Amino acid sequence: MKLESVRVEQFKQFKKPFLLDGLSNGINVISGPNEAGKSTLVRAIRAAFFERHRSKSAEDLRPWGDSSAAPTIELVFHHNGQNWQLNKSFLQRKRCDLSIQGTTYSGAEAEEKLAQLLGYQFPKKGASKEEHWGIPGLLWVEQGSGQNIEQAVVHAGDHLQSALNSLVSEVVSEGGDGLIHTVRQQLGDLLTAGGAPRAEYKQLLADELPGQQALDALEGRVDQYQNQVDRLAKVAREFHKTDREQPWVKVRQALAEAEECYRHIESLQGQQQTLNQALTSIQQRAALLQRNKQQVQADGQQLQQREQERSTAQQALSDVQASTAALHAALAQCQSQYRDALEAERQAGLLETRQRLELSSVRVKAQLQQLSERKSRAVELQQTLGECRKLTARHQISTVAVDQLRTTQRQLDDTRLRSQAIATRIEWQLEAGQQVELGQGTLPHQGEQLLLASTRLRIAGVGEFTITPGGDDLARCQRQLEQLQLALGEQLLALGITDLAAAEQALVAQERAQADVHRLLELSQSLVPGGLASLDSDYQALSAELERNCAEKEALAPATTLAKGAPALAQAQDLRSDSENRLAAIEKRSSEHEKALLAASHRYQNADHEWRTLRTRLNSVQRQQEVTQLNSDWTAIEQEQARQQERLAQMLAQIAAARPEFVQQDIQRLGASADQLEQAQRGRELEVKELRARLEIWGAEDLEGQRGRCQADLEQNRRRCQQLQRRAEALQLLLQLLTEKRQALTQRLQAPLQRHLNHYVTVLFPDAQLEVNSQLLPGRFTRNGETGQLAELSFGAREQMGLISRLAYADLLKEAGKPTLIILDDSLVHSDSGRLDSMKRILFDAAQRHQILLFTCHPDNWQDTGSETINLEALKARTVF
Amino acid sequence: MPRFLHTADWQIGRYFKRFDTDNSSALADARYGAIERLAQLAVEHNCDAVLVAGDVFDAQTVSDRCIRRTFNATSGFKGPWVMLPGNHDAALAESVWTRARRINAVPNNVHLALQSGVIELPQQKIAVLVAPLTQRHTYDDLTAPFDLLSTPPQWLRVGLAHGSVQGVLADDIDATNPIAADRSASAALDYLALGDWHGLKQINERTWYSGTPEPERFRNNQPGFALLVTVSEAGALPEVEALETARYHWHQWQEKLLVETDIDELLKRLDALPESSVLDLKLEGSITLAGEQRLVDVVSRAEARYRSVTYDRSRLLLAPTEEDLAGLQASGYVGDVLEQLQTRQNGADAQTARDALAILASLLLEARKEKHP
Repeated sequence: MKLESVRVEQFKQFKKPFLLDGLSNGINVISGPNEAGKSTLVRAIRAAFFERHRSKSAEDLRPWGDSSAAPTIELVFHHNGQNWQLNKSFLQRKRCDLSIQGTTYSGAEAEEKLAQLLGYQFPKKGASKEEHWGIPGLLWVEQGSGQNIEQAVVHAGDHLQSALNSLVSEVVSEGGDGLIHTVRQQLGDLLTAGGAPRAEYKQLLADELPGQQALDALEGRVDQYQNQVDRLAKVAREFHKTDREQPWVKVRQALAEAEECYRHIESLQGQQQTLNQALTSIQQRAALLQRNKQQVQADGQQLQQREQERSTAQQALSDVQASTAALHAALAQCQSQYRDALEAERQAGLLETRQRLELSSVRVKAQLQQLSERKSRAVELQQTLGECRKLTARHQISTVAVDQLRTTQRQLDDTRLRSQAIATRIEWQLEAGQQVELGQGTLPHQGEQLLLASTRLRIAGVGEFTITPGGDDLARCQRQLEQLQLALGEQLLALGITDLAAAEQALVAQERAQADVHRLLELSQSLVPGGLASLDSDYQALSAELERNCAEKEALAPATTLAKGAPALAQAQDLRSDSENRLAAIEKRSSEHEKALLAASHRYQNADHEWRTLRTRLNSVQRQQEVTQLNSDWTAIEQEQARQQERLAQMLAQIAAARPEFVQQDIQRLGASADQLEQAQRGRELEVKELRARLEIWGAEDLEGQRGRCQADLEQNRRRCQQLQRRAEALQLLLQLLTEKRQALTQRLQAPLQRHLNHYVTVLFPDAQLEVNSQLLPGRFTRNGETGQLAELSFGAREQMGLISRLAYADLLKEAGKPTLIILDDSLVHSDSGRLDSMKRILFDAAQRHQILLFTCHPDNWQDTGSETINLEALKARTVF
Repeated sequence: MPRFLHTADWQIGRYFKRFDTDNSSALADARYGAIERLAQLAVEHNCDAVLVAGDVFDAQTVSDRCIRRTFNATSGFKGPWVMLPGNHDAALAESVWTRARRINAVPNNVHLALQSGVIELPQQKIAVLVAPLTQRHTYDDLTAPFDLLSTPPQWLRVGLAHGSVQGVLADDIDATNPIAADRSASAALDYLALGDWHGLKQINERTWYSGTPEPERFRNNQPGFALLVTVSEAGALPEVEALETARYHWHQWQEKLLVETDIDELLKRLDALPESSVLDLKLEGSITLAGEQRLVDVVSRAEARYRSVTYDRSRLLLAPTEEDLAGLQASGYVGDVLEQLQTRQNGADAQTARDALAILASLLLEARKEKHP
């Protein structure tokens, strides 16, 4: 294929018509700076082929801002000696006209022709995407996508295979792909992609089970219907038969007979009842008589018994009486013993009391004595105390004042000393006859004096000296001294003493007196705690007690003396209590004895009385008569009883013979049977009615018809299902065989492709190898003994490999006689100059076989192509029509 | 000269499940048509009565509509019809007959022989001794009482029964109850009209099976007739004439196709068939692709032409010849596949291989046709 020219108008930046021509076989370098329209031209070529002219997704082809544009592309190319001319416009004016060597095609037909020629397809709707681009997608490399070869190969797969089929040296399979496609389609009508039934087939399979179930249900219902019909026949037959025979009639007859029989038995039983009653009354009478007889017997026994009792009571009485005397003697003895003991006790008691009283008096007297002593002492003390107190009062002197006095005195002394210290001391020793006056006084012959104030010293004949003792202090001191002396004097006065020493003495005396008072107080306190008054009262109390004692003692007199050997009080008491106890016991026994005696005599009297009465009664005449009567009655009744019992026995035998229980059972049995028979018959009648009604309804449902239809449908379903299954299996087998074969073929293309690829790879990498797999994809790359994947190479290397692979495909396609236009938009920009050289050599080689359009903005890189570079700018400057 | 029509086994309400809905409904309809035709024949031939020897209905629970249609179809002949319950429509306690009575579908001139005995047709001076089946399964000879039944003198004495004549028919007859072969003699019958065997069959001079008036299965035992019985005078042998009543003729062919001409033969025979045919083809052998095409064509035309055509060609192999293969223009691997499929026809998945081969062949032929129209 050789592209001759490309003309665009109203296409993106090419608002005015633009013509690219002057294209030659082999490599065409088309250069232009950025935005010159290189990629736009590529887009134009692609759009001319890939996009449907009616496409609504062609907006991007419009020039900016021109909403009424109709982008137009005209292409002229040759292939296989034929001249192809394509005229396509979009949007505002949708057109596609194709002329192949004079034969014209339009619209979709034209587009199909193009697709068939180059090996791509159109999208069902929307814009064309890479999956539609087929072989051109592989050979026309877009900017920056040179390194992605895998996707392009995959998308071009089918087209490649069909294009390359002719290369296989075996017989070509024309239309094999179409066949596979058809088979697949037909299979797709029956099965889903996963091999599961779909559509009608699926439905048929799904209907199988419900169909079968429905059929089974209908069969069930038909069976049921038939069963019911059979049952109706059976029951109806039974009903009629029973209706004729009427078995209950006989049964009812038998029942009546049995009942008659039973009534007879009942009357017998009535008679038996009367007999029974008579017998009972006889028996009652007999019983009565029997009782009477027993009574008579009992009476006799009783008499004997009473006699016995009487004699026993008598015996008892005499026994008791025997012991009376002894008991009385014992009692008297005990009593006298008790009296003696009591008296002894009393005596002992009196003695003790007396002794006690005496002791007590002595004690009390002693106490009294003590008390009076204490009292006198206390009075003494009281006196002393009074005196002391008086003394104290006299020596009353305030300690405080004394302290003050002391202080003042001290101060005075201090001040005096100080003044003396300060004062000027003047000592003199006068000569004879001399006279000196100091102050107011004439001085003695010798002496000393302190001068406290300014003092005039006059020495006759000499003059006057004024001696002023130094310091203010002295004056002050002097003043103080005066003050203090004054104060002292006042204080002494107040206290009424002459001086401090006296004061001290007085103080001491006071203290001593106070101490005395204190001591005395304590003494008196210990002596008389409660005070004199309590002492008095105690005294009085004791005196009274003493009086009492004396009185008591008096009462006790006359003084009794104890017999010698008389026991003491305690002993006497013991004796007394012993004898008291003994006495009590004896008294008790005595009283008991009395009681017993009384009781025995009483009993005897009773027994005697009883015996007598009974005896009299039993021996009476009336009584004898009664007894005789009784005996005769007894015999009579015994006879009667026997007779009656015999009659009764006879009756019972008669009844038993009639077997009443069996008759009763018969009645029950027969009655139940008759009821049951009648009931059953009614039941049958009812059932027949029911069955008829039910069958009427069911019969109208056309069950067997439904079943027949259901069966027919099911069978038809199955037949059709089987048909489809067979068809699916056949199609599957066919598809499998076809695709297997085809795959085998494809694999045979692997070898030539590999050959072409190797041819180029060795130019770039002398020792390297790029392997192409059974899917015809380049993958494994081996160099210098190392193996890796194509995808692992660098960007630049991948771009180079990508281009090489495409060229290999192109070579293969060329061999198959397919068009191979190669378009490279700004390729190999990431190749270094060394690699670029190698790539150029490869391209030049390829250009021997294919037309290559190489768009670039680096014309310098491509100066050594051997052909002239086409300058876009220059072309744009031309006017085109 | 008393004359009557003897028919049996109408099997009204039968479902033909081996056919599709259209065909089966047409065939069901045809059965009513048969009754009408019988009525027509009865009128044409001046019959005194029509005797139906059992299996009027195919099932007990046929729909009410079905019942009515059946009796309506008899309206063509106003004379007496005597219908005997067979084993499909036995006179049970509740049966299609009781229901027919209940819905008042039975016209006055139709006598239902629901009980064993004699049905007298005084106007026609015909006494019909009837032996209806009254149980779901009967094993006794129900015609035995005939020997003891008396009928008015000088009247025609005709027996009407349903069952299999002992010792004469094969065991594959439908009903289980036997009928003595000499019943007509032992019961002094002028004629014994039998039903249950669906084909026309004479037992003896006085005993016949009429068969079903409209065929309903693929059995070549002469179905599709009714018998016109004339007794010229008392004691004379009956004259029996077979009248054809069938609308559709059922054919079942087993064909072995080996050479091209076999198909031609088949075609010729097919062409000879009347349109009202129900055909079942069982094909076996092997044919070429060309033959296959022809066969498919032939069958498809037959399907359109005749009432129904069903066929089974599971045992028919496809054996394409060299010419066939060349004609297919199966190039390259497709040709290989063709060969593979051919050989696989003799292997485990023979059926699938044959089908695949057929599909492939047809696709190729279509493709070729497209290319060279």
